[in-house]
Amino acid sequence: MPLAIYIGRRLVFLVVALFGVSLITFVVTRVLPGNPAYLIVGVQADESTVEAVIERLGLDRPIVEQYGHYMRQLFTGDLGDSWRTKNPVTTDIGVRWPATIELASMAAIMAVAWSVPFGVISALRRRSLSDRLANVVSGIGVSVPEFWLGIILLLVFAFNLGFAPAPIGRTLGVVPPDVTGLYTLDSVIAGDWGALRSALAQLILPALTLAITTGAPLLRVTRGFMRETMSSHHIRSARALGIPERSIVLRHAVPNVLLPVSTMAAMMYGYLLGGTVLVEFVFAWPGIGKYAIDSINASDYAPVLAAVLLSACSYIIVYLIMDILHFIIDPRTRT
Amino acid sequence: MSAADVPEVSIPDAGDPVAPESGAVPVLDVFDLTVGFGSAAKRAVRRSIPLQGIHLQVGAGERMALVGESGSGKSLTAAAVLGLLPDGAEVIRGSIRLDGEELIGAPERRLRDLRGGRMAIMFQNPRASLNPVLTVGGQIAEVIRVHGDAGRRESWTQAVDLLSEMGIPDAARRAKDYVHQYSGGMAQRAALAMALSCRPDLLIADEPTTGLDATLQQQVLELVVEQVTSRDASLLLITHDIAVARSHCERTTVMYAGRVMESGPTASVTGSPKNPYTSALLKAFGTVDQRRMYAIGGVVPTLIGELGECAFADRCPLAAPECREGVPDLRSVGDRRVACVKA
Ligand SMILES: Nc1ncnc2c1ncn2[C@@H]1O[C@H](COP(=O)(O)OP(=O)(O)O)[C@@H](O)[C@H]1O
Ligand SMILES: [Mg+2]
Repeated sequence: MPLAIYIGRRLVFLVVALFGVSLITFVVTRVLPGNPAYLIVGVQADESTVEAVIERLGLDRPIVEQYGHYMRQLFTGDLGDSWRTKNPVTTDIGVRWPATIELASMAAIMAVAWSVPFGVISALRRRSLSDRLANVVSGIGVSVPEFWLGIILLLVFAFNLGFAPAPIGRTLGVVPPDVTGLYTLDSVIAGDWGALRSALAQLILPALTLAITTGAPLLRVTRGFMRETMSSHHIRSARALGIPERSIVLRHAVPNVLLPVSTMAAMMYGYLLGGTVLVEFVFAWPGIGKYAIDSINASDYAPVLAAVLLSACSYIIVYLIMDILHFIIDPRTRT
Repeated sequence: MSAADVPEVSIPDAGDPVAPESGAVPVLDVFDLTVGFGSAAKRAVRRSIPLQGIHLQVGAGERMALVGESGSGKSLTAAAVLGLLPDGAEVIRGSIRLDGEELIGAPERRLRDLRGGRMAIMFQNPRASLNPVLTVGGQIAEVIRVHGDAGRRESWTQAVDLLSEMGIPDAARRAKDYVHQYSGGMAQRAALAMALSCRPDLLIADEPTTGLDATLQQQVLELVVEQVTSRDASLLLITHDIAVARSHCERTTVMYAGRVMESGPTASVTGSPKNPYTSALLKAFGTVDQRRMYAIGGVVPTLIGELGECAFADRCPLAAPECREGVPDLRSVGDRRVACVKA
């Protein structure tokens, strides 16, 4: 029963948080300079045409009324229309979010795969080779800007070495039949290895860029928790009773570290799922981040709001799922 | 940390300046143990030497208390015995023998077999000494498996039996619990079960009851003594409270600033102390029921380099010029050994 209460409380929090996020974003987009009416009628249009459009869109109404209208729409699952693409926002997002999910998932898997084991190993001995290497790598990873790293990787691997294809979208091969919307997964489902290879080839560099920049802080956190655990009383006790070092690390220390580290990884994944503007931009990746930035540039309110809400939503939901998992896995929550 | 890179290790053989207190080979024989922090290569740099020639013997089946203020080096002595000195610490000289076997310079593999097998330790704060994400029974069973050839099921059964011997009700079920589900007293019992799981010859208990309330403290100490006695093991009970030593151990060693001040039968050490430091400790802790708020003036010094005088001279009410002429030797005086020129 405590689990149900816990989840209930979290869901209430989710609703409140989304309400807050929507309100803030709504106000910010409305007070930002840039008039969408010009986008619709063109800059050459005369005053009266512009005014007519403003009135039709309801932009002359008090902001509270506009927000109330938006929220009423939201509850019917309507995120409004994009003035730029002329599509309902839900349609646009339905096309673009799988691209972001695919990139985010790949990046998260790669980030966890390199940074967590590295963090664990580098924590075992201070000033060891792996510890120093971890300093250098995480130092670079946290200080290098994403877009710069993306461009460098592109220059080296795509243009100089020719290992990776040019950054033009999600695949240069056939698009596999749509099941999940994730090209890699769909090609596996269809058993089309050629399609899988071309989807992976497009995915690898942007995913690597994100895996480096998000893996670096994860490495630091893992190493920090691992160091702390290795100097804890229960590890000292286990050593004092002759438990071999291998078991000390893998059985006694690592599970203690995985609990907090997985929370951090989940937060990172939630963040990635909201769209990574700069990397999607550099690699022309047709995801939510790129959609959001294009919409901002066009003063296209509805998609921006939707992208922010989606981002907040995915963050909170991933976090919630991880919390529930911990609740089930961590013995300390059982009583 | 190992003694191998120390230039001259003077490990004395027969004819020690301090003769064994009894004829038989002691379970634990610590001789002139000197431990320093800071590498030997940088000896020119100020180097702290928190243990300066510890002598300590625990006979078979004997219960020895190691008493001294916080910071006097009791835990470090225990760590040295287990071969688990903290990073940066190394044995400068001396010898540690367990059942006659030299531990200083022994290979790590051998030490690991001895730890938990022939010597075991339980620490203060048992809750923190047990792993929060492993079951209590699982942790005990692992120690049993590591030191013997019991399989998973057998070691589990033994772990459950141990827990129930330690007085944990419904042990078969409680073995599957995690430490946060245990009360303080039960966690202490579990830690004791884990330490005794492989029938060690020597149990070191480092402040096992500090932080527990008086009733619980008494119960736990009685249990430790009872279990150690029934297993014919020896006990090295580390405590800052000389009253605890008096009620549970037949012999007492008093330590101060990395040295042994006085050692002998508890009754005579606490009954007629020959070292002013022992008197001061007795005054500070008195007996369990009439505890007075008396503190020894001053603090335990941090030992930089080796001392050239009695470490207690600065705080000693009886200090005289001759106390500063050299470090007093640990001499045999009657039924005990005392390091005080006035004894
Ligand atoms: N990790 C360490 N680094 C440096 N000095 C230490 C360390 N551990 C212990 N010491 C020194 O050893 C002295 C004795 O410590 P300890 O054995 O813990 O005392 P006790 O257990 O008697 O309270 C301390 O006062 C300190 O100066
Ligand atoms: Mg201590």
